[in-house]
Amino acid sequence: MELFLQQLANGLVIGSTYSVVAIGFALAFTVLRVINFAHPDIFMVGMFAGLAATAQWPAFGLLVAMVAGAAGAGVVGFVLERTVIAPLRGRDVLMTLIGTLGVAIVLQNGMALIVGPDPVAYPALLPRRFIDIGPVALTVRQVANFAICLLLLGLVSLYVRGTSYGRATRAIAERPDVAAAFGVNVARICQITILLASMMAGVAAVSVGMLYGSASAFVGLLYGLKAFICMLVAGNRYFEGVMVVGLAIGIIEALVTGYLSSSLRDAAAFFVLIGVLYFRPNGLFGSYNA
Amino acid sequence: MNFAAFEPVVIFTLLNVVMALGLYITALSGQLSMATAAIAGVGGYTSAVLTVKLGWPFLPAVVAAALAGALVGTLLALITLKMRDFILKLTTLAFGEALAVLAFNFDYIGGANSFTGIGLKTTIWTALLATAIALYVAWRFDASRLGLASRAVRDDPGAASAMGISIAFMRAITFAVGGALVAMGGAIQGHYMLVISPHDLGFFVSLNFIIFLLFGGLQTLWGPVFGAVLLTALPEMLRFTNEYRLILYGLIIVLVVLLRPDGLLTRTPTGRAIRILGYTLVPARPVASRASELSARPLPAYLLRRQAAE
Repeated sequence: MELFLQQLANGLVIGSTYSVVAIGFALAFTVLRVINFAHPDIFMVGMFAGLAATAQWPAFGLLVAMVAGAAGAGVVGFVLERTVIAPLRGRDVLMTLIGTLGVAIVLQNGMALIVGPDPVAYPALLPRRFIDIGPVALTVRQVANFAICLLLLGLVSLYVRGTSYGRATRAIAERPDVAAAFGVNVARICQITILLASMMAGVAAVSVGMLYGSASAFVGLLYGLKAFICMLVAGNRYFEGVMVVGLAIGIIEALVTGYLSSSLRDAAAFFVLIGVLYFRPNGLFGSYNA
Repeated sequence: MNFAAFEPVVIFTLLNVVMALGLYITALSGQLSMATAAIAGVGGYTSAVLTVKLGWPFLPAVVAAALAGALVGTLLALITLKMRDFILKLTTLAFGEALAVLAFNFDYIGGANSFTGIGLKTTIWTALLATAIALYVAWRFDASRLGLASRAVRDDPGAASAMGISIAFMRAITFAVGGALVAMGGAIQGHYMLVISPHDLGFFVSLNFIIFLLFGGLQTLWGPVFGAVLLTALPEMLRFTNEYRLILYGLIIVLVVLLRPDGLLTRTPTGRAIRILGYTLVPARPVASRASELSARPLPAYLLRRQAAE
């Protein structure tokens, strides 16, 4: 029972990160009909932007790192949207995938050129101390990571459901042509969506870098595929669904690691994907354009 | 000029052409499989097990590998039959990853430690022969009624179905023929690399083949050939740029996607077809006129969907 609760908590922590990256994927795919394969690498850029900022101003710690992460990822995301994603909108989904994949290759190898191909130590922004919650022991960093990710998810939910921009976003997701006919500035909302997704990924990236104490130019690959699966399992009709599935997949992976073997961990997500798509081809919560 | 130094590049280029052609045939019926690497891996493992564990000679093992690829391809086509566009592509992705996981946990074929000890059988002539076979198959398939019917399914499944073409049959046959070519390429590659690991079956390897196709263009069979040759050789050609070469590689892909959205080679009529020895290399006729040819004559019985009882 203790192992179960402990793995549940670990799963929630890692799952919350999957959720944040998956939401970025889902926003791009739902609103722009674009598979943004560069998104995990924007995440990676945010991680290194945070690293650079803490090296520059070590006194301010986590906060300045997160701001820098958001800024760095946001700039890259915005430029990417203007130069590659916007011209690709409306094309076949696979073309957008290949185009953004090209960008991903450029980002990965460009960053590897700057920081070297090996993992780099990430500064310890929070103390390495354990907190006991009942039978479960978590580090301060794990708790902070979970809290940050949950906050980000809450903010996205608030934005999408509670603001006029969010309403426009959902309108475009449902019918871009009708939304445009009703006066929604589709191009502007698309820019904002990618910018938002990138900045979120940047903040989460700083928190993940802090959690594991290392950063690498190729860290995006790992999160990319998992987040992609989360989006597919959930379907893209409800952003909240993507969040829940992200947490669920984190938990499943942690339980598989705890009870079966860690070599099966990466397979677990794929088995969930095949199982869900077999019975619900449009994802657990339904999709707009499938 | 020292040819031996280029031999690996030439062989890998040729084998990539074989597998890209396999994926091209698979994609003819409208479904771009994202499990190419996994099917190539099935071929590689099959021929490796047959030659190493069971002592078969090289040639029968490759043939058996191609058959195994056809079988797995058909299975994949049947699984994804009812699914639509995007979900379908992703299910092929998941199928490939599932095969990779299977290979990872199956100790008979080496599991996570990879299958080692495969004999070096592949020479440049083997690769050339495989390329010739693949080109011939793809070329004949492309021009046959099967090819026309599968393009009809790709362009409009509803209309094709109304014309009496069985979508299930076309999907299965394109996946089978394509899978056979891909597995053949994978088997021969296995006998050159001498080791097959579960990682070779993964999504990112499959993605390479999709990039070959979309880069070269999906409209003619020369697109994938061109894409495979150029993109396999490109990182080598860019070697003088040293550490910038992968960045340049990425940039070139982005630029092609932005500037030539249908790929480098398209079917847009140039006014003149290239003819060599009486054969037309790039058919200048647009697809539409070929589709109307298809409807002008009755289809052979094996393409017809069984009529519902009145």
